Amino acid sequence: MNRPKVLMLGWEFPPIVNGGLGVACLGLSKALAKKTELTMILPKADPDFIVENVDLIGLNSVDINKLKKVKTSKKYKEFASVYTVDSNILPYETPKLNILNSLTDSNIETTLDFDLSQMNQFGKGDIYGDDLINKVIDYAKYVTQLAGKIEFDVIHCHDWMTILAGVEIKKLSKKPLVLQIHSLEYDRGGPQSQGWVFQLEKYGMQQADFVVPVSNYTGDVIKEHYKIKSEKIFPVHNGADTVETYREEKPFPDKLVLYLGRITGQKGPQYFLDIATRVIDAYPNVRFVMAGTGDRLKGLIETGAYKRIGNKLHFTGFLSKEKVRHLLAMGDAYVMPSVSEPFGLSALEAAQFGVPCVISKQSGVSEVLNSALKADYWDTELMASHIISLLKDDTLKKKIVQEAYNDLANSTWDASADKVCKVYNMAMAGV
Amino acid sequence: MPSICFYFQLHQPYRLRDYSFFDIGRDHNYENESLNIEILHKVADKSYLPANKIILELIKKHKKKFRISYSISGVLLEQLEKYRPDVLDTFKALAKTGCVEFLAETYYHSLSSLYSPEEFKRQVNLHTQTIERLFNQKPKVFRNTELIYSNQLANTVQQMGFEGIMTEGVEWLLNGRSPHFVYSPLDNRKIKVLLRNYTLSDDIAFRFSNTTWSEHPLTAQKFSRWIHRYGATADTINLFMDYETFGEHQWEGTGIFEFLKHLPEEILKKKSFDFKTPTEVIESYQTKGDFDAQHNISWADTERDLSAWLSNSMQAEALSKLYILEEKVHSLNNPDILQKWSRLQISDHFYYMCTKHWSDGEVHKYFSPFNSPYDSYIYFINALSDLEISIKKLQSTDIESSSLHKKSRSKKANESEITGTETPIKKKKAATS
Repeated sequence: MNRPKVLMLGWEFPPIVNGGLGVACLGLSKALAKKTELTMILPKADPDFIVENVDLIGLNSVDINKLKKVKTSKKYKEFASVYTVDSNILPYETPKLNILNSLTDSNIETTLDFDLSQMNQFGKGDIYGDDLINKVIDYAKYVTQLAGKIEFDVIHCHDWMTILAGVEIKKLSKKPLVLQIHSLEYDRGGPQSQGWVFQLEKYGMQQADFVVPVSNYTGDVIKEHYKIKSEKIFPVHNGADTVETYREEKPFPDKLVLYLGRITGQKGPQYFLDIATRVIDAYPNVRFVMAGTGDRLKGLIETGAYKRIGNKLHFTGFLSKEKVRHLLAMGDAYVMPSVSEPFGLSALEAAQFGVPCVISKQSGVSEVLNSALKADYWDTELMASHIISLLKDDTLKKKIVQEAYNDLANSTWDASADKVCKVYNMAMAGV
Repeated sequence: MPSICFYFQLHQPYRLRDYSFFDIGRDHNYENESLNIEILHKVADKSYLPANKIILELIKKHKKKFRISYSISGVLLEQLEKYRPDVLDTFKALAKTGCVEFLAETYYHSLSSLYSPEEFKRQVNLHTQTIERLFNQKPKVFRNTELIYSNQLANTVQQMGFEGIMTEGVEWLLNGRSPHFVYSPLDNRKIKVLLRNYTLSDDIAFRFSNTTWSEHPLTAQKFSRWIHRYGATADTINLFMDYETFGEHQWEGTGIFEFLKHLPEEILKKKSFDFKTPTEVIESYQTKGDFDAQHNISWADTERDLSAWLSNSMQAEALSKLYILEEKVHSLNNPDILQKWSRLQISDHFYYMCTKHWSDGEVHKYFSPFNSPYDSYIYFINALSDLEISIKKLQSTDIESSSLHKKSRSKKANESEITGTETPIKKKKAATS
């Protein structure tokens, strides 16, 4: 069988990583490279970062003279006719946008004038940050041009930042489009989300030949909230890279319970505080660490103090990978009380480090970590009682940790890549 | 004969370093030593040394008619002893003139008066002993951290033997009366209260270099004219301020040292005026009435209450978790633990946690490890957690060693039992052989 030629459109990628997307893209692309011919276009790539058998192209270092101008579709123009956004938004926090300005056909020019000389701007500054929407629109412009120079059988794009580009290329190349969903506006902004990003996600999923959510949980959201036909939704769970793990003795006798992740409403940090308060009541010799940063941080620090658990609740701010691992090596339990979590890779990493996990049912990773203790995110009483059981009962803890290792053995990126390849084949066969 | 009573506050805290969660249980040093030393040198060279030189000259020049008082926190005194003995020597020289009074305060410039009478007394005694050792004076007048004051505090201080106490001349307690007299707390005539004239004090301390102030520039002549206006209606005009006003809060370039140099002669130009130390004021003037402070007041911020240290949940949590350790700390009898716990009481730590004037927009989504009340709280609480852990460890080794002691005793008992049992065997053996 011929190896399919895949054009992958990514956004964040190691070493430039903000959240789970970059980690997942790397893990999957490494595994896919064994089965496909993979070209990946990113807004910004570090020339020193090489992935075996993957042709990585960063817009920051493309030779612009080799590109030609192409016409864009009407829909592209609608999404592109957005004025400069004067806010600093992150794709995985809730963008506060009220600038959806879908102009009618009559007042749109037939071609957009591309100023290619600006393309290498992606080498400067943050791939997120100020003016993300314009970056997304520009990315689509440039990638569409670039795609004309590349041979491929299938397009694979990730999340809303690359959707516009993916759909444009599909229209120009008539090649099938696979859209992988790592995170949705629904997760970040809640069920009421209806903004520009939501519209773009919905449009992308409608246009895609197949939609690949990272969990059944997200598949259901796509079906019910975005009204996408279930026939073209094929969930593929993330895998976990094997990492060298270690355990380290804590320099204090108390047990240690961890929260790792952005401190935003989506991740349920406020529930973590409730859980912590309940646990401390029942099991005082315990400390909690919240590692990460986000718009809820300030309020949580104050609430922790108000609840009088300040001396057992430690905030670290953003941590490097090494520091995160250091925490995991000492952790006695990991809690993920996410309100809506498409996957939750950090729980897999915790499990790898032998930390037993308590995770919300509203998460994709709960479909993979069968052994983890689970509760609805709002049920802080049950979450707390799970943690207390883990802290008190070593036999239970060992059992959960051991079973998680078995779950992890099945959660490889190779297994994920196999499933993705099946989707490619269906897409190329025009099923 | 109206008097001018100067009291200058001197204090430098042990500022904490960015003490992270990963330090807990591993590194028991909480302080940013290099920063503290750097600031100490800066303030010593820019303010304390030049100001002391001028004060000494003024005392000589005016033949002991220029008289002032200092309140120097214990933690500053120990830092000066360690790093700037030359500066300490200039204070000793001032003490020898007989024109300079040293006041008592809490050694750690703490809020202990609000949390623990025992701890408060311990710190005041420690400070008094230090003043006696360094300056050969026994303080008779007390001033609490940042002039925090209440009726209850005044009674406590009086029972400790002090004759006077200083606080802020807040208008809502003066009720139209003048701060230029000596008062007493409600129902207690055994101690006198000196009230700060905050307008005149802050004219020097805050407004001196403010070019938009209508009275700028402030000269010694002009200021003395304002003072002289009170000639017929005042016993004592109390000018209380940070000593760092001279050369640090107000830079040398503002002319603050020149102002200081000329102030005494301008004031003394009117013969009815003199300078007195707080004790001299108390001995010279009768109480004019009650100063009734049912609730705590202070000289901080426009509120003049405790809100600079105790207005948000972080401050409340940090303070309550700190003072809850008191009994454990004392029962351990460990000098290192006691020192760490005491230094965490320095009021500045809680002042840094104040969010009163913190604009929300600046705190935002990114966690900046510097420059926010939230960081101050986090580093403090991490340090406090480390101290809690150290205390727990020591307590358990105490228990262990005492139980070990018991065990070894019982072991000895066992041994003797064994030897006891051996004898019959030997005997038996002897019998069989």
